[in-house]
Amino acid sequence: MPTVNGSDVKKVVIACDAGMGSSVMVASTMKKKLKKYDVTVEHTPVNNIPPDTQVVLCHAGLAERAKGIAPEAVIVPFQVFMGDPAFAKVESAIKDGGTLES
Amino acid sequence: MATEILSADAVRLGLTARDKEDALRQCGAVLVEIGAADPAYAEAILERERSVSTYMGEGVAIPHGTDESRDHIKRGALAFLQFPDGVDWNGKTAHVCIAIASRSDEHIGILQSLAMVLSDKESARRLRETTSVDEVLELLAPTDEEDDD
Repeated sequence: MPTVNGSDVKKVVIACDAGMGSSVMVASTMKKKLKKYDVTVEHTPVNNIPPDTQVVLCHAGLAERAKGIAPEAVIVPFQVFMGDPAFAKVESAIKDGGTLES
Repeated sequence: MATEILSADAVRLGLTARDKEDALRQCGAVLVEIGAADPAYAEAILERERSVSTYMGEGVAIPHGTDESRDHIKRGALAFLQFPDGVDWNGKTAHVCIAIASRSDEHIGILQSLAMVLSDKESARRLRETTSVDEVLELLAPTDEEDDD
């Protein structure tokens, strides 16, 4: 299982099916939260997750597909697009240097 | 000819829909009507919704097509459809659908504004209940957050 320490994370990728709706919304709120830790946030269709990605946030329904596209990345699934605990989990791992795992 | 991403003629208030599918078809129809997409894209909106719901929270859903259906988009545009009586959305109630037709990142400013509106309960309520097209355009005016520095 891929793992990463939050303090090593430089980029978080938000993936959704088409990369034009929900991932944009999530990326917009995550960008605000992670700005102060010098972490970039990108959004993408799940099929285009860049191979060097460390952390992917995606809807639970797409987690398996994301794993297939980016087997090296830590996949953090969420259930709801706003206020899901997964967002806080990623933020606090980056803030405090905690471990994230798939 | 409207060139803005969300133009006044794409803001439709006070609509009714029988159910989610009806609301999605209306979304697709407005995108086709304003010249943003082909009918095939409207079909892809239905298909996309079957995989993962586009319900975002605070009574707002953001229907859009699939990655494969991008070829059926003619220009990047959004449509705003308001259903004051609400539409059952897999157990949630949607009062607003913001339908997206986008080939690249032209609509990001508006979705960033939407994310901010949805994080503020009062603004979200205004979006659901307003009877003014101008108020919708004002609430969703793109944020000019070019980059995150």
